[in-house]
This record gives sequence, structure tokens and C-alpha cells, in this order.
Amino acid sequence: MLKMENVSFSYDEMRNANLKDINLGIGDGEVILLCGESGCGKTTLTRFLNGLIPNFFDGKREGKAYLNSDLIDEMPIYEISEHVGSVFQNPKTQFFNVDTTGEIVFGCENLAMDARDIKRRLDDVVSDFGLRHLLDKNIFKLSGGEKQKIACASVSAVNPEILILDEPSSNLDSKSSWDFKGILEKWKSQGKTVIIAEHKLFFLDDVLDRVIFLKDGKISNEWTIDEFKQVNHRNIGLRQLNLDNLTAKHQDYYCSSPEFMEIKNFKFNYGNTRVLDIDNVRIPKNEIIAIIGKNGAGKSTFANCLCGLKRSCKGELILDSNTLNRKDRLKKSYMVMQDVNHQLFTESVLDEVLLSMDEENEEMAYEILDNLNLIHLKDSHPMALSGGEKQRVAIASAIASKKEILIFDEPTSGLDLKNMMNVSENLKYLQGLGITSFIITHDYELILEACSHVLHFEDGKIIDSYKMDEEKLKEFFLD
Amino acid sequence: MGLELNFRIAPRTKIIILAIISFMVFNDVPMYVSGILVLIPFVCLFFSDYKKAAVIYILAYVIAKYLQMAVLPNATGILAIVLITFSYTATRMLPILMMGYYTIMTTKVSEFIASMEKSNVPKDITIPVSVVFRYIPSVFEEIRSITKAMKMRGFGFTFKSLKSPLKMVEFYMIPILISAVKTSDELSAASLTRGLSNPKKRTNLISVKFNKFDYLFIAISIAGIAVYIYYLCGGALIA
Repeated sequence: MLKMENVSFSYDEMRNANLKDINLGIGDGEVILLCGESGCGKTTLTRFLNGLIPNFFDGKREGKAYLNSDLIDEMPIYEISEHVGSVFQNPKTQFFNVDTTGEIVFGCENLAMDARDIKRRLDDVVSDFGLRHLLDKNIFKLSGGEKQKIACASVSAVNPEILILDEPSSNLDSKSSWDFKGILEKWKSQGKTVIIAEHKLFFLDDVLDRVIFLKDGKISNEWTIDEFKQVNHRNIGLRQLNLDNLTAKHQDYYCSSPEFMEIKNFKFNYGNTRVLDIDNVRIPKNEIIAIIGKNGAGKSTFANCLCGLKRSCKGELILDSNTLNRKDRLKKSYMVMQDVNHQLFTESVLDEVLLSMDEENEEMAYEILDNLNLIHLKDSHPMALSGGEKQRVAIASAIASKKEILIFDEPTSGLDLKNMMNVSENLKYLQGLGITSFIITHDYELILEACSHVLHFEDGKIIDSYKMDEEKLKEFFLD
Repeated sequence: MGLELNFRIAPRTKIIILAIISFMVFNDVPMYVSGILVLIPFVCLFFSDYKKAAVIYILAYVIAKYLQMAVLPNATGILAIVLITFSYTATRMLPILMMGYYTIMTTKVSEFIASMEKSNVPKDITIPVSVVFRYIPSVFEEIRSITKAMKMRGFGFTFKSLKSPLKMVEFYMIPILISAVKTSDELSAASLTRGLSNPKKRTNLISVKFNKFDYLFIAISIAGIAVYIYYLCGGALIA
């Protein structure tokens, strides 16, 4: 049982409180969703419950939080970890081990359990989660969904009564999200208490018991799951709980009579395995194109080949009746990466844009920054910006270097409704500039919001290429 | 492969061998003297499913040694400088680099922690070092991703960019450092929630006891270094 009484917290005493006067009781076996816009305090709340506040993050604390009858902030964190398991957002940084088996038993080893006991627990979670085929593998070689499964198994092995998940599905495709729901159901059936802080809601509806809505650090509403289903999620800045009734905003192409580009002979092998195998496909120019498909279907390989980053891919792109080879494409295209930190190189936002120009033209740089709402940040260090701002700087540098094709790799993973809408606005702005955008995404809501064409990948091939069609999309995302 | 060797050496053996091989840096000796030490990384890699790396390593070493012994004496001018730089760096550094590579790629983090605990190394040292172990694979991933980003911006590795090498270093270092800080922060938080700070003695599921290969390899590398030192002293005496 967890209880919070009048809890307030701020990381920085000079700033506004991140949590304000939280009163919350969570009973054994409840499955609870914490939701709200980015920065509403839901992650901070989870840190209070798993002991990271005050053991790792400190600040100004008020009020009391209890785990059963003990005060959480008086318990050493290793003692909390016997009762509370935590799964985090970023699969890259929650693993201490490189091999899967070592990771699953890591918590048990730390708690100095008996070796035979650990082996039994390992067997249990392996059969519970169906992980036999993932044992003794390198975690870095696993897909996002598999990594998150290992993370869940690792906390489950310790057998805590309470599980706290902080945006666990950010990096998951739709199939893995549904699989993840299976894990939640498993925990629920074992009688565990589960607390999930999450933006993506569609896979959660019938596993939840209660929903806590946070706004500006306060609990502004509480619903049972049945009440929550009646709430208009968009009005309070949340993603949709039920995706069935959404409609596409761009049933038709943006351009009234779109020209087409043609992709020819895109093939790529890893060792002896062909991972990309496209003979010929026509794609509308100056549209916003969704690239969908399961993990490992060849989407990223395609993006890399399209950008001219794979030397051994000899394919051609025919654009405005010019045939572009690999090197030409490298000049005309640009990828906005998932980890945008890797593509910002200079010391100020303005420099970042100037660096991309053939001839430095400050006037033009100002104009680009102004249009992307970055002008007030022109002297800031790119690394000091928020995620969304960094993404816009990357877009600005692509515009400055006169790229005609932009590829976005998961631009909305882990974003709330408002930020997703901002990404969608940026895409439309690029469309207005005559740029063709490709979006690799698992975000059904983003596709309906912005895209007008869909490329569906499977086993390295494009199995379907179609103008926006809700029914076909639904078949892929919701079945 | 029909041959099932089940080759495996303990983390402590790897570190001992790595330390011994590091003597190679100090002096340059003929191949018949350094031979044993040069072969150890090759054998380790070859029998641990890094056959390609093993073969490339040994070929590179032999070529470097050949250049140094057969071509270099007749070279002059700029060619000589290039050859000296390449061949001396390669022959001295390659064995150490490859042994390091082998150690990092084949040692599990839990194995490493277990063997450090066996040697009574305090947690305050073991944990940070094991984080480094854990972090290296992600650095490789990051370097690849940054290289891609640079190519797309039109400043990949070209003659033009080589003119300002410091700029290149900066372009790589800043994103890597930023993500190193972020990674180590998140990693520490995650490991705290998993009880890593527990003062009780950890259980270790993996046994890190020495086996026949460990004794064999330690013996061989000691023999190797003995020959090496004997040659150096002998050389000094003759001179």
C-alpha cells in the first residue's frame, strides 16, 4: 500500500514547485495511470515512490509518503527496491549489464539472495514472459520491444509488490505496445500494484483501474477507468485512449496534382541477408509520407539508403526527371534522427544554421529561425534546448542547406499531445516550402494528423504504397 | 566447427595478460622475441568467435612488421616518416588494443563485478569501472550515428575536413560527452532502484574460478615476458 500526504517537492528551491500538495492513496493490486502534459509532475511523483527522491534527486520536500507503514524517505533505497520495481523510458540507459541473463538476475544478486533461489526466479520469469529465445544475448542487439521485455523481467525477478513504470512504451512500436499490455495483465493477475506514467494511452484501456490526472504539479482530477472513457481526452491535452474513432485530416494529397518521384532498385544486404529489396516504387513529391512497418522491416535501412548513407546500395532516385545516385542524394536529403543530439555541432543556434549554408547569409538564417519560432533562441547553445526545440534546429539547418527530402526517424516518440501537434505543424510548414517529408513512425495519431501517403514495409519490401486510407492503417495498427 | 574447445578465461586472467602485454609499448623487438605475446590476443579472439578480427589483426601485424624490417631500411624522406609512424605504432600498440578489445567484448559486467569482489576490490572502484565497461558498446553506436549526421551535413571525412582536425574532434566529442553525462545519470538512477547500493555481499550466479586455460595462459604470458625482458637486458649488455 502506498500513501502520500500533503507532498510537495521542488528540485530547485528558487523555481516553482514540481509537485504541490499531493494526497494520494493506492491500494494493493490497483493498476493506476498517471497522466498529464509534459512537465506536469508525473515523473517526479514516480521518483517519490521508488525512492529516487531523495536518494538520487534532492530538493525541497514537504509532506509524508508511506510504503505500507514506513516513511519512504527514511528507508535506504536498496530496501525500497525489494518492494518497488522500476522500469524507465529509455531502454539504452536502464541496463547495467550487456548480456540479457546477467541483467535479469542483477537485482536479485544485489539483494544477496540465495543462488538457488535466483535460479528458480530466473526460470519463473523466463516462462512467465516467454523469454527463452532471448537468454544469453547481447542487449544492444535486441529490438526496442525486446529490451523493454527484458527490463520488465528484470524487475519482476525480484518479485516486488509494486511496479512503477515511467513512460515505458515511448520506444515501442504498436505490436510491442500490445505485447506490453500482456505484461501489465500478467502483473495484474499476480495481484501486483502497478503505477504507469504515460502519454501513449491506446493500449491501456481495459487493464487500468484508476486514472490520476496531473496539471502543474497538482492532482487536478481522478477518475475510475469507466469515467475516464467518457472524458474528452483532447480537451485536456491527452493522447487518445481509444484510436477507433479517429479520422485522417488529409484524405487527399496536399498538392492538387502531385508530381511523382521514383525509387529504383534499392537493395541492401547485411552479410548474406537481404534486408532491403525494392525494385521500383513511385512516391508523390512534396507530400508528407508515413513509413510504417514492424521493427526490423527495413524502414531505417530504407531511410539510410535514401539519404545516400549506405555505400553498397546502388539504387537511384528519379526526381524532377533527374536521376540521382548515392552522392547526389546525400546532398539533397537529410535525416532528423531520433537522438537529435547527435546532429547538432556548433555553439549557438544561429551558427548551426550558418554552418549548413554554402555561403553564409545571416539575413536568410534569421528568416528561417523566425519561421520556426527559434529566433529568440538564436544565441543559445543547441544542447541547452528542449527536445522539441532541438528538433526544430535540426529542421532549420536542413532548410538552410536547401535539402529537398527530409526524413524523420520517430519524431514523436515520448511526446504528449501538444508537442506532437507542434511536430505536425513543422511538417506542414516544410510541405509549404516544397519539401517532401518521410516520417518513420509508430504514432498512429501523428499519421492521421499530418500524413497524406503511406509506405508499408515488411521483410525489406514495400508491400503497399497508398494515399491516406484509414481502414488500411487501422488494419495495421489496431489488429 | 567440429572442434568444441569451450574456450573461456576468467576476467582476472584477461586483466593480468593485458597488463603483461602492455610492456610491449616500451620497446621494439624482433618478432621471434615478441612472438608469444603477439599470438596471445590472436588465440583468444580466434577461439571466442571473433575469427575475423583475429585474422585481420595478425595480418596487419605481420604486414607492419614486414614493412618495418624489409622496406623501411631502404625508404627515405616522407615515405620513411609515414612508414616509421605506421609500423612502429602498429607493432607496439596493436597487440594491446586487440587484447583490450577482447577483454571488453567477452567479459560480462556481472562476471567483472564478481571477480573484482573475489579479489576484495572495494565497490567504490568496481562499480564505476563496470559502468565504463557497460558504456563502451554505446559509444560505438554513438560514433556511428554522429558520423552519419556529419556526412549528411557535408562535413564527413574529406581532405577539406582533415585541414581542421580539431574541429572534427570537437564535432565528435561534444555529442559524446553530453550523452555520456546523460547516460551515466540515468544508469546510476536505474541501478539504485535495483539495489546496487546494498552493503551486503552480492550473490554471483556466474562462477569466475580459474580453469585450465587460465593457468595455461598466465604461464605462457609470463614465459613470453621473460623472453622479452631477457632479450632487452641481453641487448643492453651487448650494446
